[in-house]
Amino acid sequence: MVSNAGSPTLHMKAEMAVALTGITKRFGAFVANDGIDLAVRRGEIHAIIGENGAGKTTLMNILFGLLQPDEGSIRLNGEETVVTDPAVAIKAGLGMVHQHFKLVPSLSVADNVFLGMEIRRHGMIDHAAQIARTRELSKRFGLQVDPTERVGLLSVGIEQRIEILKVLVRGARTIILDEPTAVLTPQESRELFQTLRSFVAEGMTVIFISHHLEEVMEVSDTVTVLRNGKKVATRPTAELNKDELVRMMVGREVSFDRRPRTPSRGDVVLDVKELWARDDRRLPALRDVSFAVRSGEVVGIAGVAGNGQTELAEVLSGLRPASHGSARLKGRDLATLSPREIREAGLAHVPGDRMVRGVDRNASIAANMLMGRQHRAPWSSSGVLNWTAISQNASRLIKDFDIRAQGPGDAVKRLSGGNIQKVVLAREFTNGADFLLIDQPTRGVDIGAQEAIHDEIMRQRAAGRAILLISVQLDELAALADRILVMFNGRIMGEVAGDGADEDRIGMMMAGVAAPERAAEPA
Amino acid sequence: MIRDRLREVSGQIIAIAVALILGAIIILLVGESPVRVLTTLLRGAFGDQEKIAGTLLQTTPILICGIAACIGLRGGMFNVGIEGQLFLGGFAAAWVGFAFALPPGIHMLAALALAVAAGAAWVAIPAYFRARYNTNEVVSTILSNYVAVLLTSYFTIFLFKRPGGWSETPPILATAYLPELFSFSRLNWGLVIGLVLALGAALVFRYTSWGYGVTMVGSAPKFAEYGGVNVKRQGFVVLLLSGAVGGLAGGIETLGVHHRFMEGFAPGFGFDGLIAALLANGSPVATIFTALFFGALRSGSLLLEVDTSASREIITVIQALIILSVSAQVLVRRRGDSQAGERRWKF
Repeated sequence: MVSNAGSPTLHMKAEMAVALTGITKRFGAFVANDGIDLAVRRGEIHAIIGENGAGKTTLMNILFGLLQPDEGSIRLNGEETVVTDPAVAIKAGLGMVHQHFKLVPSLSVADNVFLGMEIRRHGMIDHAAQIARTRELSKRFGLQVDPTERVGLLSVGIEQRIEILKVLVRGARTIILDEPTAVLTPQESRELFQTLRSFVAEGMTVIFISHHLEEVMEVSDTVTVLRNGKKVATRPTAELNKDELVRMMVGREVSFDRRPRTPSRGDVVLDVKELWARDDRRLPALRDVSFAVRSGEVVGIAGVAGNGQTELAEVLSGLRPASHGSARLKGRDLATLSPREIREAGLAHVPGDRMVRGVDRNASIAANMLMGRQHRAPWSSSGVLNWTAISQNASRLIKDFDIRAQGPGDAVKRLSGGNIQKVVLAREFTNGADFLLIDQPTRGVDIGAQEAIHDEIMRQRAAGRAILLISVQLDELAALADRILVMFNGRIMGEVAGDGADEDRIGMMMAGVAAPERAAEPA
Repeated sequence: MIRDRLREVSGQIIAIAVALILGAIIILLVGESPVRVLTTLLRGAFGDQEKIAGTLLQTTPILICGIAACIGLRGGMFNVGIEGQLFLGGFAAAWVGFAFALPPGIHMLAALALAVAAGAAWVAIPAYFRARYNTNEVVSTILSNYVAVLLTSYFTIFLFKRPGGWSETPPILATAYLPELFSFSRLNWGLVIGLVLALGAALVFRYTSWGYGVTMVGSAPKFAEYGGVNVKRQGFVVLLLSGAVGGLAGGIETLGVHHRFMEGFAPGFGFDGLIAALLANGSPVATIFTALFFGALRSGSLLLEVDTSASREIITVIQALIILSVSAQVLVRRRGDSQAGERRWKF
């Protein structure tokens, strides 16, 4: 791969807009990118697909100079380049549209587009020229915006168009879009795809990050799949189907053995009926979801991230209202209860985004373990906290859950990811709840801690708890769940038994390809 | 944990040191000796028992306003309207003081109670908009200051002006006076109330379930929401309490020092209190010391104009420098945090 001065090689390289070789990036013990090679041909739409945490954004941030790789090299347009910062990348013709937009709401569209590189005339900003140029670009690429409108008045979809225009006026020939459709309505997504096609029609190159199979199949020429920081494959989209893509994303090999268990199926604890809910964009995220969880069983929810799992967890914990249908916890309608009342009614919740929802990073372990029980004895009486009891309890849980920390006074931010998750588990599993809502228990957690967490979940099952386990890792579900429900696009596509977890069937349902008959339940 | 605490404190000390060094340079530029200015300041603030009492008299409203700010900061609410709450509380206490005749003690308590209610009521408007429509409380509380100051001026000049006097209300009755602590100074029980309040607030935040919830709302709102704390309601309650203490500060100023309400009553104490609280990182106990620092600057500056060629305004300059360096330090820390956050989430 290194400099072979032969002419065929040169020709090859000139065809590549971007070539990454052996990119490795570590954050502490966590390897975000592990020896990734990526070659993007000029004039193609190249999708990079993978689960949350697969390393997509890290890789793109390295390419764009926002992060420095620990190992590996970058070639832009055939030239070996050390991308020390984004200015270098921009000079080489790269442009990046981030997930979070950086626009000035009080300025006009045109002023935002030209911010920092204003067109000047006699030392003054030439607004007319900026507006004309913005209008011209927006026409040419089908990016409908009014250049004179103030940005603060516009929708997110239009803000994204402005970000794309910003990249274009800076002379980008290769455009990186990080999860561009996450904030768009389906209609806006289709318009975006039109724009991307008009870019390649003009000989430009598009790198498109996504975890949505459908849109990748629809818009890309080539797909690179990342999983756990490693590249799985790069293939022409035309040669792939969704089912294969899912399998590459979530992995084939089952690394966890199925946990032994005694059959135990008690009373219904959680009963969800015809549940609908909307996401933050006000679009339906849950569509007619019905299922029940009994005490002593682990019900798994499988699916590619972003198919309604987050919204389901939020509705069940009272953090998001349902728009239709019902969810009952031990017979009590959750819609009538506040998050605190739901907890008191018997919910324990291990949240998917543990750093934001699961802990206060700056607080001590003891203070973190108090959350949700600060109004209950023995932690408090008549509203006064008993820090001795709180601290002693924290010390005991640190020992019981094998949390690597100096003591209950340690700030949570000093702990590793796996130990932070154990703090959350220790708190939630010991609050006496009958229903455990567990979302991505082992994401970003090292193998040793994963095993310990799985053991603990099985202990909770044996203790007669009703457990809903949401995970994007099929092997985790196969190891733990008694039954697995597969979600796609807000619906439950079907159910499979945990011991007969047939990956092909689950993979198909995860891709929304087919909805096989739900296993007939005895009446 | 101790290391974190040390790092935080050292940041504040560096901020003050930088401000003092810059202040010294400015004093040199106006042709005075920084050493002489400093010794004059110290003499003016702590030179004899009357001067010390004078410093404590200035410290009292700053301390109480600082506690009001701490209460807000703990719950993640930036109450920048303490100045306005102080003015309204001051007027409300004066009105009870001159318009009613009540037994001693009860009269004073009634006046303080109305001052508290006035402060809370005044902040209730921004607090409601914050809870209901997520309006930024910084902007709405700042704006409410101007209305409060002008409104109390209107009351004073057009409705309750003392016949033949300046722009001030009639004096309050002696039954409503807050008792003085010593014969040689107007220093009064307000200081004791402030100290008790500071300790009380610290204890409530540390040792009650409610205080725990509020602290979590301030430092990790999504976590608090997840844990069942009603984030919106706590934000509302915290602002209301903060406003109530701001009103109390005004009531104490009226009943303990001025014994009437007048235009331009107690200017800047609300803002000084807010700065003292920020410098103390939202800790009520640490605010006792930062408030004392600002109180000493204020009272020491009186002697400054008499004994040196430096103007009293040099104190305002030093305060402004402290604000700048403290906020710069906060910004630097935030940036470090957010970068760590990006690193954590952006894989």
